[in-house]
Amino acid sequence: MNRVGIPRSLFYYYYKDLWIDFFDSLNIPYIISPNTNKNIMSRGETVANDEMCLSLKNYLGHIDYLKDKCDYILVPRIRNFKNNNQTCTNFWAIYDIVKNLFNVNILNYNIDLEKKQTLKKGLFKIGKELNKNNHQIKKAYKYAITKEKKRIKQNHIINQNKLKSKKKKILIVGHPYNLYDELIGKDIIKYLIKNNIEIIYSDKFDSKITNPLSKKISKDLYFKYSKDNLGAIAYSEKDINGVIFISSFPCAPDSLANELAMRKIKLPYLNLVIDNNSSFTGLETRLESFLDMIGGKLND
Amino acid sequence: MKDCYLGVDIGSISTKGVIIDDDNNIITSTYIWTEGNPTEAVKKLLNVLKKNLPKDYVIKGIGTTGSARKLIGLMLKANIVKNEITAHAIGTLTFYPNIRTILEIGGQDSKIILIKNGIITNYAMNTLCAAGTGSFLSSQAKRLGINVEEFGDYALKSKNPVKIAARCTVFAESDLVHKAQVGYPKEDIIAGLCKSVVLNYLNNVGKGKKIIPPIIFQGGVSKNKGVVKYFKEILKEDIIVDENSHLMGAIGIAVLARRNKTGNTYSLEMSNLKFITKAFECHKCPNTCELLKIYRNDELVDSWGSKCGKY
Repeated sequence: MNRVGIPRSLFYYYYKDLWIDFFDSLNIPYIISPNTNKNIMSRGETVANDEMCLSLKNYLGHIDYLKDKCDYILVPRIRNFKNNNQTCTNFWAIYDIVKNLFNVNILNYNIDLEKKQTLKKGLFKIGKELNKNNHQIKKAYKYAITKEKKRIKQNHIINQNKLKSKKKKILIVGHPYNLYDELIGKDIIKYLIKNNIEIIYSDKFDSKITNPLSKKISKDLYFKYSKDNLGAIAYSEKDINGVIFISSFPCAPDSLANELAMRKIKLPYLNLVIDNNSSFTGLETRLESFLDMIGGKLND
Repeated sequence: MKDCYLGVDIGSISTKGVIIDDDNNIITSTYIWTEGNPTEAVKKLLNVLKKNLPKDYVIKGIGTTGSARKLIGLMLKANIVKNEITAHAIGTLTFYPNIRTILEIGGQDSKIILIKNGIITNYAMNTLCAAGTGSFLSSQAKRLGINVEEFGDYALKSKNPVKIAARCTVFAESDLVHKAQVGYPKEDIIAGLCKSVVLNYLNNVGKGKKIIPPIIFQGGVSKNKGVVKYFKEILKEDIIVDENSHLMGAIGIAVLARRNKTGNTYSLEMSNLKFITKAFECHKCPNTCELLKIYRNDELVDSWGSKCGKY
């Protein structure tokens, strides 16, 4: 039957729509692991090495959930996007980590533009492994990539419109796999929405536009997602009231990006580092005071 | 009858209460240890305050702040519950309207608040780690066999503070043990600890922040003269320490209680109040939320921790 398992973590948040369009078009059945819950997270923590970051532990928990529910698990290796746009070293290693820890069939493709391994080649590779012919894959790829390009444009326009909003605007900077994860970032987002804040997500900007702008903050950046994030700050700095930088513990690229952002921008700035703490109290104190601050209502 | 307002700041280590009048004069105040039981601590606190409050005052507002603010807010039926950063800023600005930088080191938290024209422009709080806060100092004091209150005097005696790793409490502790075993005098070690608290603070919450005078230092650790000395030395600026520096959060929240008064009157009589919390884990879905149910006189007033909103 060839059912593909998609872990709802890490790469899922970058490529979910593209993958789903691609598999749908090829008529390949798939299963997506559910929203992260404590059970999944603790499964991840048991198999993971303690030096790994929270997000990676979470990813392994999702793999553990999927391991006996499908025939393949989709684990790409996303390495670099050329021109000093590397990804996190955990992303380079993840295929090997999964292969070592789990006895599962892995559906893998590489993105390594320095070695000319493109997304297109990758999707053709997995299409063939799932016994589809060239013609079918070509059609599916075209369908998925056209929709993806449209989506990126649309998201960028939505973000631009949000920047014109009359509400208090906060740019949320972080990796999508942290921001939208049910257990990592969701509570923060919910809290901000409840308090009537216009949230602008750093990852919803078109990275073609934001990525080069990161040069305004630093010319020496090495990681693609740090560049995207800092570029998003540079892009929207003039129109927002504050920046909240969310990262998972202990993210190495973020620890650099955060330091840079904190020093270079002149807006109210809050850094939240999420570990597997079960209580929201500490975060709430920081968020509440941050909103008090950008509200400026202290001396009424 | 004159109106007055109660502010309660329930921190991890100590609980502070203050009653102010309409002109921000402190009528009475008190400071006790929380000892891991905020509800009991607040009951004790109110007893002391009640005894010291002149009979011709009525309480027209109650505010709570600090890490147990929500729980105690429910218990006292407070008319305002606010985070400690806002409370500290407001308390300080009431007495020092021109202040630019607030340094605060408490029991578990440390923060820095930057202010311009009476408005907070930026702040930072320690993230995951409680290194270099009050609880660190008090545990080291225990190790050295002296009272944490005497720490400052010891530190001032020292001429050569030893170097102690400032980054992490665990490393600092092993450094401290080594230095003691090698034979350094106590006052030099204590001075080194105080200095490491300052360095840790400036490298941690203070990093990347422009510290502009006038600077005020508050929180429990501000009572430690050694720490104050090294702040002055390292920042090369004068540091203001108010005699009520430990009360600023409570004062701030009392001011907010006055601004948000509803017209209700409050009583300080809590000795008959039954205020219980029950914790349990829900197993109806894989989230296994840790829930806390709060009962006031056997009546369920609130429950916290549910992700789905079922409770």
